[in-house]
Amino acid sequence: MTDLTRRHALGVGGALGLVAFTGLTTASALARRPPRTGAHLAGQAPLPPPYQVPLPIPRTLKPLATTGGVDRYEITQRETTAEILPGVRTPLWTYDGTFPGPTIEARRGRPVIVRHRNELPVPTVVHLHGGRTPASSDGYPTDLVLPRDWHEPARMNGMHMDGMSGMRDPRAVESRLTRDYTFPMDQRPTMLWYHDHRMDFTAPAIWRGLAGLHIIRDDAEDSLGLPAGPREIPLAITDRAFSADGTLRYPSLDPTLRTKPGVKEEYLAGVLGDVILVNGAPWPVHEVDAARHRLRVLNASNARHYELEAVTDDGRRLDLVQIGADQGLLTTPVTHRTIPIAPAERYDVVIDFKDVKPGTKVRIINRLGSGRTRDVMAFRVTRRTKDDTRIPRTLSNDLPTWRRGEATRVRDFSFRAGRMNGGHGWLIGGKPFDPSRTDVTVRLGDVELWRLVADVHHPVHLHLVGFRVLSRGGRAPRPQDAGLKDTISLRPGETAEIITRFDAYRGRYLFHCHNAEHEDMGMMANLEVH
Amino acid sequence: MATTTDVEHRTSPVWWTLRTIVGLHVVAIFGQPVFAGVLLSGDFDGLRMHATGANVTTSLGYVQLIVAIVVWVRLRRVGPFAATLALVAAETVQYFAGQAGALWLHLPLGVATIAALVVQFVAVWRQEPTHD
Repeated sequence: MTDLTRRHALGVGGALGLVAFTGLTTASALARRPPRTGAHLAGQAPLPPPYQVPLPIPRTLKPLATTGGVDRYEITQRETTAEILPGVRTPLWTYDGTFPGPTIEARRGRPVIVRHRNELPVPTVVHLHGGRTPASSDGYPTDLVLPRDWHEPARMNGMHMDGMSGMRDPRAVESRLTRDYTFPMDQRPTMLWYHDHRMDFTAPAIWRGLAGLHIIRDDAEDSLGLPAGPREIPLAITDRAFSADGTLRYPSLDPTLRTKPGVKEEYLAGVLGDVILVNGAPWPVHEVDAARHRLRVLNASNARHYELEAVTDDGRRLDLVQIGADQGLLTTPVTHRTIPIAPAERYDVVIDFKDVKPGTKVRIINRLGSGRTRDVMAFRVTRRTKDDTRIPRTLSNDLPTWRRGEATRVRDFSFRAGRMNGGHGWLIGGKPFDPSRTDVTVRLGDVELWRLVADVHHPVHLHLVGFRVLSRGGRAPRPQDAGLKDTISLRPGETAEIITRFDAYRGRYLFHCHNAEHEDMGMMANLEVH
Repeated sequence: MATTTDVEHRTSPVWWTLRTIVGLHVVAIFGQPVFAGVLLSGDFDGLRMHATGANVTTSLGYVQLIVAIVVWVRLRRVGPFAATLALVAAETVQYFAGQAGALWLHLPLGVATIAALVVQFVAVWRQEPTHD
């Protein structure tokens, strides 16, 4: 009998062990390691070898006028074509004819007014990501700039059917053809970016090219002695997929982007392209002196995350010294081996090519990529040179230090998949976005602590304010979470606590997931500052 | 089950201790998916509960391992020790997989660990080893 029991026990144990082993190996084979949120969109165009195309630097936009203490600019949003992949032309939607759009250089405290003229076939909205901007110029998704001869494509009984909510937003302020956006620039110097934020159609509009950089500087930063001029390089990283004829591929349900929002079901988690573009060029190369360089990195991709590292031809990994985050300079520099960067995040890093042999390359690699998406770009070191730049131990001393005890409210938000309008969508706190519903009301000047929980990758972005990361996954934040942020990357099953003061302006703002596909499919919420 | 005489029928106190600790362990481990669900539904406090639950469950695992060693020495039964050792190993991996966010491992390993513990629970309650 004992023998039988023992055989029994061994049998049950063995069977359970076998099932567990099979389950775990299946999980290890099927699951994405590292995890990735989004679906691959394969291109059909022949792809160029890496590190052949020179890195373009977006041109700096010249102001039309600088009188009255204000810089005035004009940007025309229009269709154009560009040779992104060699030998084929790619139709794009652009700010002023280029992708990325022209860079706006602003000074702290000196207002910028940008007149946007919409010559595209659809309505647009401009949002300055990271800007401390009055609500009327913040680019609320229904504050549309309509094309000259735009007719509402589908209106039934006064209902506006292109909104997810299926109803017209009574607070929307629409304009026709042009709109002046006023940015006070009363904020810490940093690199922002402007992009389209139209209700339901943000992701395809950014994909087609509607994104540009906006840099704020001040005297204090200028006096630090950081690498500048040609040794300060903006890097806007995006992924795209191309058809054989050069046109961009994108799984829109309505390729005209006029009426029906959304992407094909399998791309609900996000669209991942197979071509990595930096400043609009595929896997570019940039010639540099063997000296310190300041890289101002933006992930302008819709859904792709990167973990960047710099590797020399002989396999050495160069330090990436972070000097700034989304919302400007850190207090002191932080040295990293790799930089994880989620959609819409920015990192301000200094890399020193001093010990790199002239004639060799330093490749920027994406550790989260596979195959061609592992490569990002390369620097070719040309010559040894004198370097009188420095990275001061103290970069800034104006970082806000909000403490837990100061928070007047604690709020919890879940970011997860769910049902909306009878289909799949993405929800915040269990609800899909509705412009006519106020989700959160905060008092101007209040400090609040927000606790965020994610099911898959969700880069969470707050309009108007910068925040500090207090904890991640119940533990201390990562070294890369330092400084003042406006977007925090939550990984699958991850939590974070952030703290901020809602100051500057009253009005209707947003917070949302910056996976652009999630954002279009419900993952936004209204933030009323009053 | 072995047929027993009246004298032999009294189950060893050590075995009762094992039964108790395995029972507590089952209760503790069943809290883990519950707290994970609370967390993923957006309640931030679910994280604290899930973390506390992980500490309690893993600690119970180590206590159970000590009891299983006593069972092995006193009752000359190595089975509970071998099973508990495997469980403790799985729970330790599980703990770090959870902290590292390796959900591909954390979820199936969690399910397998619970299943194995339930099987062990049934086994220790069905068997009635007695004093030597």
